[in-house]
Amino acid sequence: MKVFVMLSSLVLVASQNVSAGEHVGHHSGMMMDTKGMIMNANSDQLPRDCQKISETVDITVRAGQKYALKFNGKMFAFDQQQWDVKPCAKLNITFINDDQIRHQLMIHGLPGYLYPEGMFHLELNGAGELHASLIVPSQKKTYLVHCELPQHAEKGMKAQLKVDGGDSDLPNIPGITAATKEDIYPVEWTQTAFGLLLFSVLLGGMMPFLISRLKK
Amino acid sequence: MKKKYFVPLLILWVIVLLAVVIFWHPNIIEQGGIMPPDTQNRTLSDTTLSTEQPCSNEHPEWRAAQIIEGINIEASQACQPDNPYEVATSVKGTNNVSMATLMQTDFAQDALMMNDDMDNDGDPDVIRIKLEVVELNGNNPEGNFLINTYDIAPGIQPGLWVYAPKSRGMAVKNFNSIVAAPILRAPSPTIRVEQGDKVFITLENTHYLPHTIHLHGVDHPWMTADGHDNDGTEEHAVFPGKSHTYEIQPRHTGSMLYHCHVQTAQHLMMGLSGLFVVEENKPNNWPQTFNIGAGQVRHRSVATAADYTQEYDLFYQSIDKSLARIIQDYSDPRLIAKRMSRNYNITESFENYFLLNGHSFPYTLRDSMIIAGDNETIKLRVANLQRSMVALHIHGHKATITAYDGVDIAENQQITRDVFDIAPAQRLDLSLKTVNNGLNSYGPGLWMFHDHVVTGTTTDGLEPGGNMAILAYSDLLDERGMPKMHDQLLSQLFNKDYYLKQQPIWQQGDFAKLLGDASAISINYFQLIIFGLSVGILSGLLIWVIARKKLKSQDR
Repeated sequence: MKVFVMLSSLVLVASQNVSAGEHVGHHSGMMMDTKGMIMNANSDQLPRDCQKISETVDITVRAGQKYALKFNGKMFAFDQQQWDVKPCAKLNITFINDDQIRHQLMIHGLPGYLYPEGMFHLELNGAGELHASLIVPSQKKTYLVHCELPQHAEKGMKAQLKVDGGDSDLPNIPGITAATKEDIYPVEWTQTAFGLLLFSVLLGGMMPFLISRLKK
Repeated sequence: MKKKYFVPLLILWVIVLLAVVIFWHPNIIEQGGIMPPDTQNRTLSDTTLSTEQPCSNEHPEWRAAQIIEGINIEASQACQPDNPYEVATSVKGTNNVSMATLMQTDFAQDALMMNDDMDNDGDPDVIRIKLEVVELNGNNPEGNFLINTYDIAPGIQPGLWVYAPKSRGMAVKNFNSIVAAPILRAPSPTIRVEQGDKVFITLENTHYLPHTIHLHGVDHPWMTADGHDNDGTEEHAVFPGKSHTYEIQPRHTGSMLYHCHVQTAQHLMMGLSGLFVVEENKPNNWPQTFNIGAGQVRHRSVATAADYTQEYDLFYQSIDKSLARIIQDYSDPRLIAKRMSRNYNITESFENYFLLNGHSFPYTLRDSMIIAGDNETIKLRVANLQRSMVALHIHGHKATITAYDGVDIAENQQITRDVFDIAPAQRLDLSLKTVNNGLNSYGPGLWMFHDHVVTGTTTDGLEPGGNMAILAYSDLLDERGMPKMHDQLLSQLFNKDYYLKQQPIWQQGDFAKLLGDASAISINYFQLIIFGLSVGILSGLLIWVIARKKLKSQDR
């Protein structure tokens, strides 16, 4: 059974700026109220393979429909699509939702002994912000970061967290990688394109004669 | 060999080979002859991979009548009973239940806020409902599989849109599943409010296309108090990432609707519609705000509890598979918008799938049966959100119409009959009596009830499917809520291959040999080899002759 800690008021107001991990005191907690929830925040438990925290990085992640404007064919996005951190880094994450709907910031593939089901999970029920920390292991690895609402990651709200340069790129990260199953679009066959193709074919056909002429 | 015989001999060979090719060629189809081919022999191992348990019995503890958070929850004998914690939370509001109860549901903590007993009659009168728009069986750019899957029948996953109560956490069953979380399903939940309540319905558009909520038949002012849209029509679409709150204080009771009014033809057919019930204002009246997946109402309002022994919401909808496919074939919202609104032509469309409460037969047996005892009076609220007419027929019973479109009929004008015609968007309130008197009921049974428009009982044209369900007398159900005496039929139908049309209809029992699939005529391999050789030799000869001619002409 998970430990539930109800927050009497807001963890979400910027002025309070309390790290959720510190609030719960240990990793496997979950905090939830009408504004949103924090699951598996961890600000002090070192992964087994880490002697100490190598660096502390403050990361602000904004989520919203407007961040998809710079990516053709998407609808939702984070403001950044990739973060690079050192092994054993501590991430102080500020998650800001600029939409009037629910968004999530989920990081997958973390060690299960620190993060149940390998997941770090922030969720905002609407516009607002959350603060929470996590500590990554030393392994060179790429972690999936996404919003798991139906069709949000699929339509662009997907990013990657690379520790020590990462071990790969994930598919369908806007602006970074193509989808595994890409959409198909028509190619713009203008009159110029047709004309150029015809000209090239004719020119190609004349080549052997031109060359044999030159030889003589 | 002498040269003068060469040419005639060659010609003779060619004639012989040609004759072989013409008369001994293999066929795609052939006449059966005296003894047509045998019946295909299907072994059990052919089908076991695609069969599934009729009832997986995930939550037997949810069936009993129980009290949660002080709320009485009626028993449900069904295979898949509604989650009683979600029932209790739907009655009291997400703000009035304990965290332990809320954690047993998929609701977000602000999904349903109920406050302020304005008329001091013991129940909350300010209700704030939040709905999201969810895509089921949607495109997944990461491979050839769908995401947030929801099977309407074995192996059938059409693209669907539904309104869902605002939920939280993972939208899949668990972290390594692609199956939609239980709260994310068709149809959109029935919403129940009390007459006179101040109800705020917020549409939080989590989807990638614009939508609205139009409160069809529900008493609502045309504008909100601060002058914004309150009718949910096309020109006031709520775009992705945005939210809009509709405000009502309904004076009139009855079975109404809510639906999307953007690109209405397509968005209705995609599933954006649900029942909206306004219950009579009574003291200490706590209607069940969300009835997830429609069906049995496990906590009834005061008025319905007084007059009836049970209450069921029956929601009929249909799907055009070619429309539903669009959201699966494309990921780019621009491509989907164009294909759906301009390339797709609903005037040239068909209905392929017919759903009762989000499922087609045999899945209707899991959560959409009417389960009755003797001498009951059951209230049915029936809504038709198909593109076509519904002609509802309940075997063995004649029910009575008590209201049309939420308007009650005087008792002396009520009609009792056995086929109920319901035009698209119409609602009927029915009173179903299980009194064995030869009129209201012919006695206990596993009585089918279905749309008598014959397309309605098919799934993509295949019987038995569609919105077929059963009015079951409870003694005739087993401990998992499945019909007794139907094991053979159920094992045949809870099978993906059946609905892929890969199995004969009568494949078991004495008539399997007589009505099973005829085998194909087996190939005569001797004939096949001779034919192949002849074609080969002929082609070889042709090339040889041409090559020789060329050589000769060059020699000259």
